[in-house]
Formats: sequence, structure tokens, C-alpha cells
Amino acid sequence: MSPIVVVSNLHKYFGRLHVLKGVSLQVETGEVVCIIGRSGSGKSTLLRCINFLENPSQGIIEVDRVRVVAGQQSRETDQLVHEVRLRTGMVFQEFNLFPHMSVLENVIEGPVTVKKMDRRRAIEIADMNLERVGMLWKRDEFPARLSGGQKQRVAIARALAMEPRVMLFDEPTSALDPELIGEVLAVMKKVAEEGMTMLVVTHEMGFAREVAHRVVVMADGQIVEDETPERIFSSPQHPSTVALIERYRASETTLHETPGSHKYPRTNE
Amino acid sequence: MPNVSDEDKETQSQALGERLYAAELRRQRAFRTHVGLSWGILFLVLMFLFSGQELTLGGFQFSTIRLDFEFVQKNLAFVGGGLGQTILISILSILLATVLALVAALGRLSNFPPFYALSTFYVSLIRGTPLYLQIFFFFLALPQLGIILPGFVAGVIALGLNYGAYMSEIFRAGLSSVGKGQREAALALGMTPGQVMRRIVIPQALRFAIPPMGNEFIAMTKDSALVSATGFVQELMWRSTKVGRASFKNLEALIMAAMFYWVMTMILSYIQGKIEEHMAKGDR
Repeated sequence: MSPIVVVSNLHKYFGRLHVLKGVSLQVETGEVVCIIGRSGSGKSTLLRCINFLENPSQGIIEVDRVRVVAGQQSRETDQLVHEVRLRTGMVFQEFNLFPHMSVLENVIEGPVTVKKMDRRRAIEIADMNLERVGMLWKRDEFPARLSGGQKQRVAIARALAMEPRVMLFDEPTSALDPELIGEVLAVMKKVAEEGMTMLVVTHEMGFAREVAHRVVVMADGQIVEDETPERIFSSPQHPSTVALIERYRASETTLHETPGSHKYPRTNE
Repeated sequence: MPNVSDEDKETQSQALGERLYAAELRRQRAFRTHVGLSWGILFLVLMFLFSGQELTLGGFQFSTIRLDFEFVQKNLAFVGGGLGQTILISILSILLATVLALVAALGRLSNFPPFYALSTFYVSLIRGTPLYLQIFFFFLALPQLGIILPGFVAGVIALGLNYGAYMSEIFRAGLSSVGKGQREAALALGMTPGQVMRRIVIPQALRFAIPPMGNEFIAMTKDSALVSATGFVQELMWRSTKVGRASFKNLEALIMAAMFYWVMTMILSYIQGKIEEHMAKGDR
């Protein structure tokens, strides 16, 4: 079976800053890949290049057999980028729910506006996905009245409602209060168990360890390690990975001594 | 020493909270009452100044301004009849201004050089010339080019163009207030740039812009008085100068118009305040 996401030799410059230095990555259907690394390692940029929120400077992105060669400006490229975006769902650190729309309207917005889906059908799909993330009971609320964890769960439902082939998570729990992280990770775990292909940029080492099939470590714009979680946690190779694992272990012990700490200890820079 | 239970402490601290809150409410109410009374006094003083009283204080003789109330009574309906025109001009002009302001603001944020240039050129030209001149331009200068506009139309176009230029800043702020994350979320869903604007950015920018637009509308009801200069639009100002000049009662005539403008502004400001309150509450 051919991989569903293929990134080949991807480069990204911000002005003169070389942020991605030839990244290649393949993800199989149903695979959950966590991307870890220190801030500035390029992990978020890599994720954002996959659905072209950042324009890659050079390289090739292929999602579900839609192939886009970077650095070209043409109507066909725009069309291909659109196709890629239809096949990917994105969850942001800052949720980015539409504040002028209710929870339900947020979730049907994509299907109705982009896919031109019949409103009634879109509502059925929205209800199903809100149920999936445990937010159906808040379907008529406005985002301002939700907690951070609830907002993020709605944002996940909004992305799922487009029925993407791949879900991209860009540090989905980094903006959350510690006590709200667990509910979001639980939803992500559920989505992963239902067979969704996921790329997750995260600091949640516990989540990576428990849910990921593969952990990709980035440092200085390159992938420095790409292994199963078992291997990463038991015998990290690259100094960057070693440092991340050490910090995780340290926070794990301190956190376990603190009553009420959440289930997945985080490592921050 | 009586034994104070936790429950008693709880009720006590609650009672204290209630007392403090009630005192705070009393202070707020007292402030509002005093402001209201002072307004009343200031109004009475103003009324007194125009009451036409003759006063003798010690050896000094004072006389307050004497108005011809018969004239006022006779012409009140005529001058007040201009309110409709004033409001109509303001509404039509604000509609035109809103459209222009939105387009100019989009141009200002555009990456397309001609559109950006057009927007900045328009704003610069309009803000660099007096509104009074612009009204005369459309009414007096255009006929020389064979374009003859009625005073009403010239006035609406000039006011609309003028306010559009100033209001474009409001819309620009509104559009800029919509975070980058909103656009990204919409793009990630697969929306086209046009859909992102229409569905996500503009609705949020409008919410942001509605309170300042209210202020612009209130200002416009008064600037609409300049349209009277064309001499062919029977709005408040034109009517008051007409009757004032005809019988050398400009004082009374202008005071009448001033009262109409003032009361109208107070009503509009009140409505504006209510809208703002409502927007603050509905934290959508």
C-alpha cells in the first residue's frame, strides 16, 4: 500500500532564515505520527507546509495521491493546493473557532460553504462529530462561552466534519490550562483508535508514547530521528532526543509527586 | 465568649458582602442623580438667559436675551419639517459611505498595487480637501462639465464620498482586528480567499465597526447642514436660515434649528449607547 502523505526534500525559507532543510517523511494510512522537537526546530512549519498554510520554498508534497511541487505559481497549483486542503483537517494551538458562529455553525461551515453540502445533511454530520468529541450538548453555544478544552474539542469536530483523509494537529494542547489537556488528548486518542491518519506536533511526550505508532524528532530544520515510541523512549540516539526524553522523565517524576496532576505530563522547552 | 460556628461566620461574611454591594449601588445611583440635577440646573440657566427678564440688582440693570416667541411658534413647524430631509440625507450618505469605506479598506489591505493605489489616492484626495468645497464641487463645478446634479444628489454624493474616506480607517481597523488564525482556519477548511473574506473576516470586522459607525452617523446628521449651502435642499439648516433672514430673526431661527439638532443627537446617542451595550453583552 502506498503512503498517504509523502513529503520529499522539503525546504522552507523565511526571508533569509532556512527553517526546513530538506525534510522527507512518509506516513501510511491509519498511522499516528508524533513530531517532537524543541521550539524553532521547524516542526510546526513542516506541518503547516503540508496543507500550504506556509508555502514551501522547494520540494514535493503529496497527500492522498495529490502531488504538489513547491515553488510554482499557477492556477493548476492553486487547484491542487485546494485539493490537498480538502483531504487534510487542521487543528490549531489557538483553536481558531469562528467567534461569530455557534458551535454547530462552526462545524457545518466547511461542508456547507466549501463542499456545497445540503444544510440538513451537514447538520447530521456535524451532530455525529460533536457527539464523537463529546460536545453535542453545547451545539448552540458560542465559542466565547466554552473552556479552552471544549473549544479545542469543537475545533477537532469542525476538522473531522470535512471528512479528511489526514488530520494535522499543531500543538493542540499548548494553549490549554493543565487541567484541560487531558480531555483533548482523550478525544485525540479516540480519533486515532478509530483509524484516522494523524500527524501531531506536540510537547505531550506521554501522548506520543502511548498513542503514536512513530515518533519523529526534529532539530534545526531536519528530521534527526524517526522511530517507534518504544525505541525513542528506551534508547534515544540523537542528543536532541536524549535531552527531550530526559526532560520528560524529570517532569514525570516531579508531576507524579503533585496530587491532581494531569495524566500526560508535558515537557516544555 | 460565645462560640462562633463556621456557619455563622459564613452568614456574617455574606451579609458584609451584601452591605458593601448595596453601598456601592447607592454611590452609583447618587452620582447619576447629582449629574441629572446639575443638567437640569444648567438647562434652567440657559432658559433664563433667553427669558427676556429685566433685572435690577443694586444699582445695576441687567436684561436677559429677549426672544420673539411668536415668531418661534409661527415657524416651528416649518423649520422642524426639515428634519425628514436631514435624516434622509444622512441615511443615504451613510449607506454610500459604508460601501465606499469597505471597498477602500479592502484596497488598503490588498496586495494588488492598482487597487491599493486607488484606495490610498481616494482617501488622500478626500481628506486633503474641505467637505464644504466638495459639496460645492458636485453642485457648482460639475455643471461646467455638463453634469448637472440636483442639490440633494450632490449633497449625498459629497457627504458619502467624504465620510467613506474617513470611515475606511474604521473598517481597516475592523478588518485588521480579525486575527491571522481566523483566516488560516478558514483556508485549512478549503475556503477560497473570497469565501474567507465574505464568511469569516467581513462579518467579524462589521461587528467591530458598528459602534464607531454609529458615531459617524451622528456626526453626519450635523454635517448634512452644509448641504443647505446649495440652496435647493429644504433640510433643517436651510429652512431655519430662510425664515431667519426673511424677517431678521436669525437668532430665534438658528436657536430653533440648534434645538432640533441637539435633541436628535441626544436621541441617536442614546440608541447608539444601547447598541453598544447590547454588543458588549452578546459576547459572541
